[in-house]
Amino acid sequence: MICIIALVVFAILGIFSATHRSLAKEAFDCVFKRVTLRKCTTGFDIKMKSGIVGYLLTKNEKIANFTYKYFEILSWAFIILTIVSLLLTAQATYNIIVYGTCSPEDPMSCIITNYHSKEECLDDNCPECIGEENEPQSTQK
Amino acid sequence: MSLKPQQVIDAMNSYYLEFPACAGRSMHSLANKATEAVNQSRKDIAKFFNAKEQEIIFTRNTTEALNLVANSFSKEDKILTSDKEHNSNLLPWQSKQHAILFSNEDNTFNFEELNKKIKGTKLLSIVHTSNLDGVTNPIKEIIKIAHENETLVLIDAAQSAPHTEINVKKLDIDFLACSGHKMLGPSGIGCLYGKEDLLKELKPFLLGGETVIDSTYNSYQLEKVPNRFEAGLQNYSGIIGFAAATNYLRKIGLNNIEEHNIKLNKILSENLLPNKKIKLIGPKDYKQRSGIFSFNIENKDPHEIALMLNSMNIYIRSGAHCVHSWFNKNNLKGSARASLYFYNTEEECKQFIENLNKILKI
Repeated sequence: MICIIALVVFAILGIFSATHRSLAKEAFDCVFKRVTLRKCTTGFDIKMKSGIVGYLLTKNEKIANFTYKYFEILSWAFIILTIVSLLLTAQATYNIIVYGTCSPEDPMSCIITNYHSKEECLDDNCPECIGEENEPQSTQK
Repeated sequence: MSLKPQQVIDAMNSYYLEFPACAGRSMHSLANKATEAVNQSRKDIAKFFNAKEQEIIFTRNTTEALNLVANSFSKEDKILTSDKEHNSNLLPWQSKQHAILFSNEDNTFNFEELNKKIKGTKLLSIVHTSNLDGVTNPIKEIIKIAHENETLVLIDAAQSAPHTEINVKKLDIDFLACSGHKMLGPSGIGCLYGKEDLLKELKPFLLGGETVIDSTYNSYQLEKVPNRFEAGLQNYSGIIGFAAATNYLRKIGLNNIEEHNIKLNKILSENLLPNKKIKLIGPKDYKQRSGIFSFNIENKDPHEIALMLNSMNIYIRSGAHCVHSWFNKNNLKGSARASLYFYNTEEECKQFIENLNKILKI
């Protein structure tokens, strides 16, 4: 299952680097075989697993051992994390576009939008404050 | 594939930097220099095998040299090969009356098989040192039996030429093929040795520039041996580099190289073979395996082993080593293979053992 993670990672890195683009293609071939219920015969999964475990062996044998033994489970865990992360990112992006903040329920917790408390607002004289006079659009609606 | 000494690289560069011309064709000074260098290279390589210079034909590699010989045998000719041949010494014979000599259980040469199957054989084409397990076949005895039965012998010396002294006259070898890239030379160059009278009988399978003395619109007159087999512009830089490599090897001494390889293989064998997870390919006696340590680890793919070692800056070969036939017969996917040469050190062997032990633990 490492090929799914690799496809996502290398596809993003491939935007900037030709080396990663060819790896992304290899990963895609592997994913394509898996989703069509065939065995990945490209050797890509072995390449990734061995590369990671080999590197870990030079750092910490116990971690390398654990990674080698539970590689498939770890891959699944990373896939689930990636999917959840992608869904949350999509939701946050939607909120920013529609409500102007990634978290309409608690705009203060959204670090990428520039909302401040009323006190901070007075100190810094910032334009977008959360308060009685100047609330974000989302909370006004 | 071996590393290349600076002397070989310098010799190759000298062609491109000092006399980048066609050998044996033009009359100008640069062409003369190129011709001299190529002729000298042929002499050097002939000397390396104790052959005559006209008995050395330049080819692209061992594969081409083997195919050149195979091209001269008909479909009806009985050909014998061993069960551990590289695809290059197997596929060209499959269109003939081809029979296999099966090895002993420990992968060493089986004389019973030879004596049983040699009768009526036109050519015995056999690997000298196997790239699968490093076992060196006893060619002196094999050739003696073959010649007693009027069988010609072609030796695939791709692995043995860099590691063992080969005297084609002493051993009475009929044909011998080898490549430059395994013996410190450049890739894309090799040679075929053949007894002069036998070479005259061979059919050139490439015709063109420099292979003929004269031609008309519908006929041609072949050049002498070896030129008739070297069609078109040659890899001059490669030829010069190949000769420089053989000179380098002669200076070090093939016997010293062989001794060094065995010493290193002893270190690997004594430290790794006691581990039952390691499944060795070939005889347990390291003296019979030259510089080769070919193995599998229980429940691990050979590519996995090679890739993990790669992360530790140790480069070994993995897979079927172009001997698919043997692996298929033995139901194995392949093996991981450490190949030792004279530039490897005891320290490097210890590092290999240390890192392989880490892999064995996981």
